Amino acid sequence: MTTSAPLPAGLRARVLDASRQARPAGRPFPEVPAISPVEAFSRAAEALYQTLGALDAAGWRRPAIRDLDVQGLVGHLIGVEDDMRRCLAGDPAVAQADHVASTRAAADRQAGRGPEETLDEWHHAVGRTLDQLAGVDDLEAIVALHGMRLPLRALLIARAFELWTHENDIRLTSGLELAVPEPATLHLMTALAANLLPHAARSAGMRQAAQVHLVLTGPGGGTWDVELDGMPVPGPVQLSIVTDAVGFCRLAANRLTPDELELHVTGDRDQAAELLAAASTLALD
Amino acid sequence: MGGTDELLAARLAAGDDYALAEVFDRFGTVVYGAAVCIVGDGNSAQDVVQDVFVELWSHPDRYDPAAGSLRTYLTLRARHRAVDTVRSELRRVARHERHYRLTVGDEPRSPGEEVLTADMASTVRAAIEQLPAAQRQVVELAYFEGLTYREVALAVGIPEGTAKSRLRLALAKLETVLDRQLLEPP
Repeated sequence: MTTSAPLPAGLRARVLDASRQARPAGRPFPEVPAISPVEAFSRAAEALYQTLGALDAAGWRRPAIRDLDVQGLVGHLIGVEDDMRRCLAGDPAVAQADHVASTRAAADRQAGRGPEETLDEWHHAVGRTLDQLAGVDDLEAIVALHGMRLPLRALLIARAFELWTHENDIRLTSGLELAVPEPATLHLMTALAANLLPHAARSAGMRQAAQVHLVLTGPGGGTWDVELDGMPVPGPVQLSIVTDAVGFCRLAANRLTPDELELHVTGDRDQAAELLAAASTLALD
Repeated sequence: MGGTDELLAARLAAGDDYALAEVFDRFGTVVYGAAVCIVGDGNSAQDVVQDVFVELWSHPDRYDPAAGSLRTYLTLRARHRAVDTVRSELRRVARHERHYRLTVGDEPRSPGEEVLTADMASTVRAAIEQLPAAQRQVVELAYFEGLTYREVALAVGIPEGTAKSRLRLALAKLETVLDRQLLEPP
């Protein structure tokens, strides 16, 4: 039996304050182990390597993305690693190079080769990138690659994002279950995507300022309060968006549309839809 | 935002403090009511409510939506926490009484302590009344009179080992009775 005693004044604030002191808002539970962006990139590459290693010869010839089959897609990734190493070496030629055009030759070069040869070349290319990264101390240094100018830390997470996305392109065409990054890598990816939302909104021409409370559920998720700058409007504009962490990453990778996400939105639904559509422009294919 | 218990649990795990506020707004009154039933409407009930919500926020994994509703989970946690409060308060009062007897004699407790004790102990005393006479006797001697096992054994005229086992048995029954009360639907 319970009574319906009215709540004492101040109890709500006291309870919420004590709770936030016990565990700061935004911090996911359970906490994921912190890993470096280099480790995240390495793990994403290893996961893709395992998926590719399990494909048979027919699997390598299945269409993957654009006009590329799986082997051509891996060739594209060989080209990306070549440009990545040039970026790390400070070569300005790759700063504004087009992500697809710049890697086209490497993709085309795979035609007629055996899958193992392509796999080995890509695996060695990743190894050379990691060797080069081993000599880098400053992950906050600004680097430029394929039209992106950002800290090396963020570029490495974007590269982990890219490898995971292409791994799933391959798994999808092969009829395999989609892969989910382990929580430590996924948390870096969700944090990157959340923190890039203002950039995505600006790039997409969103004009209205807003505060966005973004909640990404599931392992690797978290909660972020993101400010979208733009024209101020009377009164606070607040959007709250709750969705699944993996789904949000697939949206940011341009592999899901906002309509395909299970969303819980508070605030202006049109503005939320516009923001999520903007998020999907973050991807590099 | 609407939301099922499953969604609320997922949001709490994601560190969404808006979800915590939402849970408090939905269930704060029920949790407080459950605490008041057992410890009265003093500060102890507020402490119970705070403990229950801090626990939910700090360990959201302890709530399993498949096992029942969030409302039921929080109500049960409030009852357990309130009974823990009563138990520890009884122990404290028993220690206090014994201390006074040994040092300053039969000084009366403060009015506040009297009220608190009467209020918080009512549930446990009711449970003690349901014990068999022999067990009730050792519980009263040990907890309300503050006697040691040896002193209980001498007072009742039984071996010390028997006093221990009788007390252990009594406490086990007491917990069962209290837990049954806790499991009553809100």
